[in-house]
Amino acid sequence: MTALVFPALAFPAPRRALGLALLLAVGVFALLGPLHGLDPLRQDLSATLLPPGSAGHPLGTDHLGRDLLARLAHAARLSLGSALATALVAAVAGTLLGLLAALRGGLAERGLLALADAVQAVPALLLVLLFAAFAPGGFLALYLGLSLTLWVEFFRLARSAALSVLARPQVEAARLLGFGTGHILRRHLWPEVAPVVLTLFAFAAGTAVTSISALAFIGVALRPPTPEWGGMMTELLPFYAEAPLALLMPAGLIFLTVLGLHLLAGKEQAA
Amino acid sequence: MSLIVEGLSIHGPEGCIVRDVGFTARPGEPMVLLGETGSGKSLVAQAVMGVLPAGLRAEGRILLDGQDLLALSARERRGLWGRRIAMLPQEPWSALDPTMRAFGQVEEVHRLVRGRPAAEAAGAARADLARLGLATAARRYPFELSGGMNQRVALAATHAAGAPVLIADEPTKGLDAAMRDTAAALLLGEAREGRILLVITHDVVLAGYLGGEAVVMLEGQAVESGPLRQLLAAPRHEYTRRLVAADPARWASWPARPVPGGRALVEGRGLHKRLGGRELFGGLTLEVAAGEVLAVSGPSGCGKTTLGNMLLGLARPDAGEVRRRPDLGPLSFQKLYQDPMAAFPPTGTLGQALTELLRRHAIPRAPAEALMRRLRLTEVLLGRRADQVSGGQLQRFGLLRALLLKPALLFADEATSRLDPVTQQEVMDLLREVVAEQGTALLVVTHEEALAAKVAGRVVHLAPQVVGLSPDGVPEAALAL
Amino acid sequence: MRALSPLLRLLGGRLAQAGLVALLVGSACFLMVRTLPGDMAYRIAASRYGYDLVDTAAARAVHAELGLDRPWYVQLAGWFGDLARLDLGTSLASGEKVLEKLGIELGHTLLLAGVALALSALIGLPLGALAGLRAGSALDRAALVGAAALRAVPSFVLGVGLMILLAAEWNLLPAGGVGEWEEVILPALTLALGLAAASSRVTRDAVAAVVASPFFGFARAKGLGDGLAFRRHGVRNAAIPVVSYLTLQMVLLVEGVVVVEALFAWPGIGHALVHAVLGRDIPVVQGAALVMGLLFVLLNTAADLACWSLDPRRRA
Repeated sequence: MTALVFPALAFPAPRRALGLALLLAVGVFALLGPLHGLDPLRQDLSATLLPPGSAGHPLGTDHLGRDLLARLAHAARLSLGSALATALVAAVAGTLLGLLAALRGGLAERGLLALADAVQAVPALLLVLLFAAFAPGGFLALYLGLSLTLWVEFFRLARSAALSVLARPQVEAARLLGFGTGHILRRHLWPEVAPVVLTLFAFAAGTAVTSISALAFIGVALRPPTPEWGGMMTELLPFYAEAPLALLMPAGLIFLTVLGLHLLAGKEQAA
Repeated sequence: MSLIVEGLSIHGPEGCIVRDVGFTARPGEPMVLLGETGSGKSLVAQAVMGVLPAGLRAEGRILLDGQDLLALSARERRGLWGRRIAMLPQEPWSALDPTMRAFGQVEEVHRLVRGRPAAEAAGAARADLARLGLATAARRYPFELSGGMNQRVALAATHAAGAPVLIADEPTKGLDAAMRDTAAALLLGEAREGRILLVITHDVVLAGYLGGEAVVMLEGQAVESGPLRQLLAAPRHEYTRRLVAADPARWASWPARPVPGGRALVEGRGLHKRLGGRELFGGLTLEVAAGEVLAVSGPSGCGKTTLGNMLLGLARPDAGEVRRRPDLGPLSFQKLYQDPMAAFPPTGTLGQALTELLRRHAIPRAPAEALMRRLRLTEVLLGRRADQVSGGQLQRFGLLRALLLKPALLFADEATSRLDPVTQQEVMDLLREVVAEQGTALLVVTHEEALAAKVAGRVVHLAPQVVGLSPDGVPEAALAL
Repeated sequence: MRALSPLLRLLGGRLAQAGLVALLVGSACFLMVRTLPGDMAYRIAASRYGYDLVDTAAARAVHAELGLDRPWYVQLAGWFGDLARLDLGTSLASGEKVLEKLGIELGHTLLLAGVALALSALIGLPLGALAGLRAGSALDRAALVGAAALRAVPSFVLGVGLMILLAAEWNLLPAGGVGEWEEVILPALTLALGLAAASSRVTRDAVAAVVASPFFGFARAKGLGDGLAFRRHGVRNAAIPVVSYLTLQMVLLVEGVVVVEALFAWPGIGHALVHAVLGRDIPVVQGAALVMGLLFVLLNTAADLACWSLDPRRRA
């Protein structure tokens, strides 16, 4: 990845613009959806599985007569909010530690590398599952588990990007010309590390959205009645024949959110 | 047998890039296209081979034994590759398959291109390699061979299919002086075997070695042609004259500078350095006096850059010590880099870099601007990024940056080796003038013995090291025959 | 002998990783036992005998059986001692020997993972290679759009979609169960599509890079035709990054297995793990996480070895 990614962020290429538009749409949905005032938890067993466009329920109701618009919008808040929060924690911590390791080297770097190896010895989802086993249904274990596995990638990426820049003649020249570490961070490291970190941030947020909904789908992390896209799919799966759209809507929202984040990240990455 | 190029023009999307070039190449007599980067000489070679980049179109005639190659279909031209026309790759170490042994890369040509039976092909490949002194290298992978050996493997593979025409595009790019001579000898050997040899180069020394006929190209046009010896001895065109004069061997020696007495700026005593299990130098002692010009020369990999870096404190010796004069601060030692592009941050303009430097050291603007004019750097350049100016301009900007700090010693690390010859001479002339004006001592590290001899009062020769393997022990010179 | 040392280093590194996995999973599970809210023994007794039948005496018996009254470091030493002897204990929920139970489930998981990997190779590699050979073509762009879209679909959503379409609507395949060969196809296809989305892009980039490389150009200039040049110099060189990427893909595979097994009720390790997590059946959580983690290390080692044999530079 090159520094060319950075100007591309300032002037979105068509692909990035599309990603941004998708995310904005989901964001607006998350903010405006609750405005029509229905409680996402209120059941009405006389009005179950209403189709979209029904009176009072623009997107219909689920098998317990709960308003789907309210549930989907609350779930969007939850997914977007928690995905961005976990990715942000991971990004800030991982990037700072990566830069520190690259600049300081020595024992700090070796210790952090060993820690990163330990975390990545186990697939991330497995680790999150182990965390979730402490407190099934808890938010905290979920976020903690996700942040704990996501920071490693930021750490490795920031460290290797910084190391490659530090090894270049441009840094040696800057030191010879009397510039300090602050200048090197600002003028040499940041322009190269930032775009890489931003790209990873978008991918990490996508991973967080996927993981949160997947864990809710298998009932491990967030549980009914909390409105969550994955959890809603579990609940609505038995009724797909009567209300296929009710099942399709949370699935579509997950797809659009993750696609938006991946497009925003820019370069199509393999992992 | 002959290769005749007549009225060759190459058109790109933005117009004509090469205009009306013509020459005749005959067996046994090298044909050299001489010119600087961007002169269009490589495009001519690509047109002959039939590998012009997409979007470019050739017009005119390229006659191989009377057959017009430009009239053939792409498929028919592919059929000539290896069998009638062969092209020696630039940078052979990247042109060989990294995952296949040297033997296989030659053998497959005999078997799959010439269609010989397996046993016969294997025998022919072994003979090819043995003839180039590579008998024991056959079982090795390219990464296990030295640059020179890779070049010979590539040559064996190139002509294994028996093409009578051999094209070599910048065959000495990235080679130091010793390897350049070997490569030239190999090419000359090809011509003497009765092949048509077309060599594209910016290197006047290589051209002089090859002899034969030459066409000098500038900005897409042939400005002069004729027998090389005559052309080099008495160039008619202004550009040819400058090109010939830019060969360091023809430079005027730099005038000796008065060296004031007193303590040396920096002295290294008993320096030892090992790298990758190899001793670069052991027990080296040298010093740089104030105001002198000292050169360190030697082939690539001999540790000359490492030595310079040690004197500046950028690298540590394994044993021995470096002492810089105690009254000199770290800013008194500055460096010019081989690749000026790598010495500037890729983001931000040159003007920004300059302003930061002036602010960091509280240097007033006026003297900086005076020095800029002295280095023939215009204001316009300040608005550009490092990748938007030429190599010569950027190196002069690097010089500006270093000289603004009034260094006592400037270390020029192969500072002009990536520039075109004419630009190299311009930058070196300017360097000579400004360091003399400022009284700065100059440490020149170069692989070109001729350059070192012309510029320096004293030259330190670092002994060539054995790079890679030479298991057969065939002296390189013997391979020319 | 000199060629062996990089191999030993590689294997040593993976062995250390396996040890780390055991340490991590073991400590996490031990910690879980110590910190779970409520009286562990009571919960376990309840899960074993049912809430109606449990009493303090039963809970005390369980307490003594697990040695929960000893100091924590003695318990920890005992815990890892059991682990080292491969004594994974018995399931709190069913009383089965964890090792035996996991042995059967591992067979199911390996079948699923193997079929999924084979399917993903069949889909992703040829598609990626074609796109790479014609980089920039309509096929390449279509493959990019397809891969990008597929990568934005989590495996459980993909699985639900395939289940509804192929099993329920079109009745082509059974939706769950194990035993018939048709039953493995749906979960394996779910995994394979996700894997192929990623691997096709890696293959595409690797092939495009090789075709544009100086050594491929030289192979053609030597007189080899395109097909020959690709067979002799393209395939092996393009395979190196693709196989290296397999190590990353193993993360996707292992994570996907957990979710997909749960979705299709495929009785493998992932399914067992999810159920054990939900039921806080700690011996099974530990055993399943351990087996999955070690499987991950093993698959990675296999990918490393493949790279090692493909690339002479890694052997030096």
